[in-house]
Parts: sequence; C-alpha cells; structure tokens
Amino acid sequence: MMQEEFNEIFVKYHEIITLGVYGTSIALMLIGLYAVLMKKNLVKIVIGLSIIDAGIHLLFVGIGYIRGGTAPIFSPGYENAANRMVDPVPQALVLTAIVIGFAVTSVALSLIIRLYKHHNTAKIDQIKSLKW
Amino acid sequence: MVITPIHYIIVPLLAAFAIPLISKIHKELSRIIPGIVMFYNIVISFVLMQEVNTVGYISEIIAGWEAPWGINLIITPFSGFLVSLISVLGFLIWLYQYKFKKVIDVGEIKSYGILQMMMITGAIGIIITGDIFNLFVFMEIVAVTAVSLTSFYRNRDGAEAGFKYLLIGGFASAMILLAILLLYTQVGTLNMAEISERMHMVPQGIKATILVLFIIGFGIEAEMFPLNGWAPDAYSQAPGPTSAAFAGIVVKAGVYGLVRIIFTLFDIEGAFDFLIIAGLVTMIIAEFSAVHQTNLKRMLAYSSIGQMGLVLIAFGIGTKAAVFAALFLMFNHAIVKSLLFMTGSILMYNSKSKTISSLNGIAKKLPYVSILFAIGAFAIVGLPPFSGFWSKLYILTAAADKEMIFLILAILAVSIVEIVYYFRVVSNL
Repeated sequence: MMQEEFNEIFVKYHEIITLGVYGTSIALMLIGLYAVLMKKNLVKIVIGLSIIDAGIHLLFVGIGYIRGGTAPIFSPGYENAANRMVDPVPQALVLTAIVIGFAVTSVALSLIIRLYKHHNTAKIDQIKSLKW
Repeated sequence: MVITPIHYIIVPLLAAFAIPLISKIHKELSRIIPGIVMFYNIVISFVLMQEVNTVGYISEIIAGWEAPWGINLIITPFSGFLVSLISVLGFLIWLYQYKFKKVIDVGEIKSYGILQMMMITGAIGIIITGDIFNLFVFMEIVAVTAVSLTSFYRNRDGAEAGFKYLLIGGFASAMILLAILLLYTQVGTLNMAEISERMHMVPQGIKATILVLFIIGFGIEAEMFPLNGWAPDAYSQAPGPTSAAFAGIVVKAGVYGLVRIIFTLFDIEGAFDFLIIAGLVTMIIAEFSAVHQTNLKRMLAYSSIGQMGLVLIAFGIGTKAAVFAALFLMFNHAIVKSLLFMTGSILMYNSKSKTISSLNGIAKKLPYVSILFAIGAFAIVGLPPFSGFWSKLYILTAAADKEMIFLILAILAVSIVEIVYYFRVVSNL
C-alpha cells in the first residue's frame, strides 16, 4: 500500500519534483563554485569541488527519471516493463563518477596534509612559493 | 594469442596490481616490469598498425556488447599513429627513468613505476576509446596519476604544484561531465560514432554550450591559454622522466581529445577559427613568458605550451596539408621535447641550483649531455637540417595556401623569440 501511495504522490507532483531536482542540482553546483572560488581554506575548496560533483551527479540521475518509472531490473511480474523503466545509463555513469570523485578527493586531502606539514597553515593565500 | 586493442588497457592494469605483490620476490622487479609492459605496448602497436594498413581500421567490441550499447575501442591510422608514438616514447622514458634511480630514493620507486605506467595507459585510452564517457574515465586516470607524479618528491613546492593541478583538473572534469550530460540528453547515446551521426538534430545554441564545456575541459589537458596555469609549476616540480612524459604523452592525448571532439562531433561555423585564435594567443603568450624564466624546466614548460599552440593553429587551418603538418609537429615535439626534458633534468641535477645561470660552463663537465641538449634546442626552434624546420615549413605552406598572411608573420615572429631564449641557454652551457 505504501508503494502505491508513494506512486500517487509522485504522479501528482511530478512537475514540482522534476523542477526541484533540477533546481537543487544547479543550486549545489553554484554553492560548490562559490566555495571553490571564494573560500581561502584548502579543505573548504576541496569540499566545494565535491559539492559541484554532487550537483552534477544529481542532475544525471534526474534526467534519467521518467514519470512513474520502475527500477531498471527485469524481475518476476515486470517482464514487459521496459518502456516504464527509468533510464539505467545515467545511473551507471553516476556510479562511475562517484568512484572517480572519491579518488580525486582522497588525493586532494593527502596533498593538503602535506601542504599543512610544510607551511603550518591551510590558507591558500599564505601558500604561494610558486607563482600562479 | 591474438593481439587486439584491449591489450593496451588490460596488460598495464594487470601489471599495476601485480607489481606490489611481485616486488616482494625481488626489489628490482618493480622497476623492470613497467619496462616489459612498455615494450609489449610497442609490440601491440607494431602488429595493429600492420593490420590497420591492410584493413583500414580496427574496432573492438568489449565484453560482447555491440557498439551503441557497449564500449568499443577504435584504431584508425590517425589514432594508431599517435598510440604507436606514445608506446615508443613510453619505452624510451622508462629506459631513462631506469637510470634515474639515484635521484628517486629506492623505497618509493615501486609506486613511481606504477603511476608512470598508468598515466601512459590513460593517455592511450583517451586516444583509442570510442565511447565518450569512457574517454572521461581515462582522462581522470591521467589526471589522478599526473597529480600524484607532480607531487612525487615530498618537498614543499611539489605538493603545491600538485594541488594547483588537481584543483584545475577537478574543475575541468566537472565541466566535461556536464558536457557529457547535456550531450546525452540531446542525442541519447554515448557512442562517439552515433553522436556524430545524430549531432545535426541538436539545436545550435545547445551545441555551442556543449562545445564550450568540452573546450574548457580538454583545454586544460591540452594547455590552451587561459587554462594552462598548472603547466609550468607541474613541469618544474615533477621528476625529470615525468616532465618528459607530460610533454610527450599527456599533452598529446589532451590535444587529440580536443581535436577529435571538434572534428567529429561538431560542425559549427567558426569552430576552426576559434582553434586558430586560441592557438595563436596560447603560442604568443607562452613564448613571451618563456623569455624571462630563470628556471630551465619552467622555460621548457612554456616552450611546450607554445608548441601546442602551434599544433592547435595547424589543426585550425583545417586543410589536409595542415592536418599532416600538425601530426608531424606533434611527432617532432613529442620526441624533441622529451629529449630536452631528459637532458635538461640531468643538467639541472648536476648544477645544484635550478636556475639557467648556474649552468654556466657545465658543458666541460657533461659534454655529451650538453651536445644532446643543444641538438634538441636547434631542432625545436627549427634550424634547417632538423625536423623542427620541416614541420614549421609545412605549417607555413599550409597557411600560405589559405593566404593567412597575419598567421605566417606571427609564427615567424614567435620563432625568433624562441631562438632568443633557447640560444641564451645553449650559449651558456
């Protein structure tokens, strides 16, 4: 029963949900961009990069969604559901992109640790032995 | 065993996972195995290029999923040429880094070999893949390994250069991901051949947006003008063999990615003019920045950026002769600039401080290395008997065919600047 109620709500407010997903993802990207450009702390900059990535991932999943769609898995009772399934490709892409984002973030954080050890600060405007 | 394009990817990946285990048997193995893999890459290139010569192109389907749904690897004469170049260069760089062990202390050489090998694998992957998202994945492999290699020496500036590179690279990858997303919403496929077929259905405005996002993304790897802030720092802080690999391999892959996106996916009016203008600005600014550098590797890095600008110009001219000239220049630059970085780092290593003035009179101590460096410098500025002269001549004739007088003048003027700063170093040796 729970599932049907959910579906009803989804169908009813479909437009708003779609707009919400798109709006949220764009807002996340802008917040991340703000953090990358304006924040002085290295850790906050890396968090900003992660937030940009999160926004793009959300947008990816959002475009794959179709109204009242089911999970893209062929299971008993859903043999002929191919045209009602949400698009599986963006979900696969997002999984890959999340893993890549994880790798990039971990490398970034390890570099920050090393920078902090050498400079004793994590402020980007105090670390400038190389010219930009 | 049948040799197919997938060997370019799986053999280095397998080796990368195996090296930490195998090096338990003998320490030296962790240094030798990357060399064996690089040599095997040359064998693959040799076999595949012969096949390409008879068949025309090779397209390999991975894991049994047909092309529009699965990922395929494509070897055309163009990409095959670049992959062969990268394979040979990778092997040469490995030979150099094998003798470079005195500088890198033995405890870390294990990870060094793995990272260098994976960076080259990523660059090969960018060139041979036929799937646009797979291209993104390979670009990230290159980015992560390149950042780790940049900050390989555990000193202060290495970490800073690495972080700078990672910040710009992370932004670039976000842009490419966004571009792929937009592209997917418009054409509904990720296969590059299918995308170029369906591209005409996409509205002009969205097409331009996608193109701009892609150019920002790939321009960073290809060292295009406003996006190349990472390059001089990364080149100067990275270990010597890695600088050679950046100039010879990573940048080539970036330029190829950019050119492939523009040539195969888009036919917007003005895309080629854009390439010419971007290349021109990149070239002029980089060459003039190179003049007042005091660090030799930084100077070589700026020179490398300038040469990539010239390659972009040649692709932008767009005629058959110009594309040939661009390929020829990429070939020359890959070999000559790697030579310059290799000999240059030996000179730097022996001069104690990293400035050009400290090289004064080093030719008496290291005559052969100095002569090789001088030959490299002559080749890159384009003195007549060397290959650099012919590649520049081809570009100039291609520009002359299209009557681009301003372009010819700019290239010649920049060549004079090049001569000034290279001869300053050579006369100092």
